[in-house]
Amino acid sequence: MGEQNILKVNPLPTLTWNHLMLNFANLPLESGSQVKADIPSEFDGIETGMGEEFVSFVENHAAAVRVIRAGKGQDLGVIRDENAGTSSEVILIDAGEDSQVTFYSHASEKACPGTQMTRLVKVIARAGARVTVIQSQTLGDDVMAADDFGAVVGDEARVHLIQAELGGKAAFAGGCAALKGYKADFTEETIYFGDGSRRLDFSYVTRHTGKKTTTSILASGALFGSSDKVYRGSMDFIHGCSKSKGREAENVLLFSKEARNRSIPLILCDEEDVDGQHAASIGKINKDLMYYLQSRGLTESQARQLAVESRFNPVIDEIPDESVRQEIHASLERRMNLD
Amino acid sequence: MNSSIYDFRYETHASFETDAGLTPEIVEQISKEKNDPDWMREFRLKSLEIYQKTAVPNWGPPLDGLNMDQIITYVRPDTPMRGKWSEVPDDIKNTFERLGIPDAEQKSLAGVGAQYDSEVVYHNVKDEVARQGVVYTDMESALRGPYADLVKEKFMHLVPPTDHKFAALHGAVWSGGSFVYVPAGVHVDIPLQSYFRLNAAGAGQFEHTLIIVEPGAYLHFIEGCSAPKYNVANLHAGCVELYVGKGARLRYSTIENWSKNMYNLNTKRALVEDDGIMEWVSGSFGSHISYLYPMTILKGNNSHMDFTGITFAGKTQALDTGAKVVHNGRNTSSHISTKSISKDGGICVYRSEVIIGKDAIGAKSSVNCDSLMLDSKSRSDTIPAMDVRNADSDVGHEAKIGRISDEAIFYLMSRGLSEEDARAMIVSGFAEPVAKELPLEYAVEMNNLIKLEMDGSTF
Repeated sequence: MGEQNILKVNPLPTLTWNHLMLNFANLPLESGSQVKADIPSEFDGIETGMGEEFVSFVENHAAAVRVIRAGKGQDLGVIRDENAGTSSEVILIDAGEDSQVTFYSHASEKACPGTQMTRLVKVIARAGARVTVIQSQTLGDDVMAADDFGAVVGDEARVHLIQAELGGKAAFAGGCAALKGYKADFTEETIYFGDGSRRLDFSYVTRHTGKKTTTSILASGALFGSSDKVYRGSMDFIHGCSKSKGREAENVLLFSKEARNRSIPLILCDEEDVDGQHAASIGKINKDLMYYLQSRGLTESQARQLAVESRFNPVIDEIPDESVRQEIHASLERRMNLD
Repeated sequence: MNSSIYDFRYETHASFETDAGLTPEIVEQISKEKNDPDWMREFRLKSLEIYQKTAVPNWGPPLDGLNMDQIITYVRPDTPMRGKWSEVPDDIKNTFERLGIPDAEQKSLAGVGAQYDSEVVYHNVKDEVARQGVVYTDMESALRGPYADLVKEKFMHLVPPTDHKFAALHGAVWSGGSFVYVPAGVHVDIPLQSYFRLNAAGAGQFEHTLIIVEPGAYLHFIEGCSAPKYNVANLHAGCVELYVGKGARLRYSTIENWSKNMYNLNTKRALVEDDGIMEWVSGSFGSHISYLYPMTILKGNNSHMDFTGITFAGKTQALDTGAKVVHNGRNTSSHISTKSISKDGGICVYRSEVIIGKDAIGAKSSVNCDSLMLDSKSRSDTIPAMDVRNADSDVGHEAKIGRISDEAIFYLMSRGLSEEDARAMIVSGFAEPVAKELPLEYAVEMNNLIKLEMDGSTF
């Protein structure tokens, strides 16, 4: 067992009242073997959602580093992460012009032998590239999970990130996209599930510098038990990013008196010609919907399950592996079946 | 339009000024001069200790330009308190006249407790209001009057000096302000109005407003602020404490138009009992830096809060405004709606927190904020926080940021308006939901201020 470190992660791009405890999160991680990963220099300085302290920790303790390069116009198809669930991994994707890459990593309870799991993905999407990164986890209740992502998006390139944080003692996740190119696009979808005493902590940031850049950040979650969740979603429109657009939305269903939900959706803007919107909806499930479903013969627990899965399914369906989709459905069903 | 009508001053003849900087001796001196009761003297000294121990905020716009040693905390004008308008000295009167105070009074406003520098110089409550048992007086009189025990019980109870550094400063050096007591069941038909002004160079203003609206009563209180321009950094750290009783309703309207070198670090807070309603209407225009987040604690069941605000930041301004609400009672509801406009390098920040407590079963809250960017030199940030600790609640939030569309300008120009007029019309329309919540004369003033701000050539 290594030394215990407390990392400051998921920093809010601008500070607010300290008593809200939203300016950053503390992530306790044990340092394993000190192996300085060999990171190609082009990936230096890419901002991620979880921030510098996390990146430097992971890069100094990485058990596995993998570099994926797609040449100009190359389609690499779907690349599966065979090491998913190992203690610490770094994935670096350099997608050449007009190339296509989908990287997919699922960490299940069985696959993770330790008590912590960290994944870091950095992406360079060059002009016209299409990159999709999927990180999902259904880890056990004794694992500390952290999923981080950072991308630089070039001219007319598109980056799509999916994070499904469905297990773990605590799950920290973050994503950041630097939209530098003309018409660079970033879409992000997160689903999270809190039960027991799980702590969930998220931070997403988009930095718009290119013209006509677009962003969509969507999060959907359900909180049971005494779970405690913090969600930070920030769009930063930087001077010069004219005609850029950003949409951000979070929907949270609360099922327990003991659960706690904190959300802070930010828009930072010093460019006039932009269009930014965010919305958040937090609360209990619609009573009429519950009544209708129960009147059709569903138990309360089944009705709840249906309501949650109907929100999660569009995201789960994007996972390119039938067995993983089934595992996730089974895991959710087991956790939500309170009858 | 000539902007100078909102930016004028006369020489002050202060009869008493404290040394620059803040020491226990100065606080003792203020206390002695004001003939404080013993508890208040101790309260001031305790607050000073807290002030010296507390750090300035690590968030928000920079406060580097604020040199406390330079700020004279207490300036008393030559005039002792007056009851009749005719006895108020001419230069002070002129200042008020240019601000429209006597006109407003003629329009049947209930009373004027206009504050000139740090002392209430003019104070008048209409007979009909006093006959209803309503007490409207200055804070100093309230400390010694028949409501002294009530004041002692409530003073800085909602906003304790430990709240933040400038609340502590306020506790140490507060001076002037209003005390309003509305007895149970009394409906005050005409709004009570008070106009605060700052005039001496380097003078801080630390007025304290304490309003108690007893069960079933209704009051509309209007606070207006306007101050002339000066070169030395000026500080305003006022404090407003509002107690809304069971089934009572309080509407608190403010137009703040401080001079462009002012640091406005004001704290406002309301506590609402069962079935009570708190309504805020807040317009922030002036000041160099503002930190302003009126807070409402919905303690009682079925209590409600409404907040309507507008912020306009122009050149050299960073206005960090918003609202806070804490839901504690059952079936409580709140609605926050804000507009912000940034122009000529101005910075608007909307900052808020909505907290739904564990026991606030059935709480509902909705937040809506729109930001308008008028050019690319300006900045507008939205920082809304929500903390929900109970499942049986509904919290919604929506924010939008954008510019005036070219199509809208084109349309209005095709109907014969100049581009400037078209832009001014669209901005006025954007501000309309706030303007319609204000009494007529304030809505007119706000529209004038918007026109002044839009007409960049005069600044």
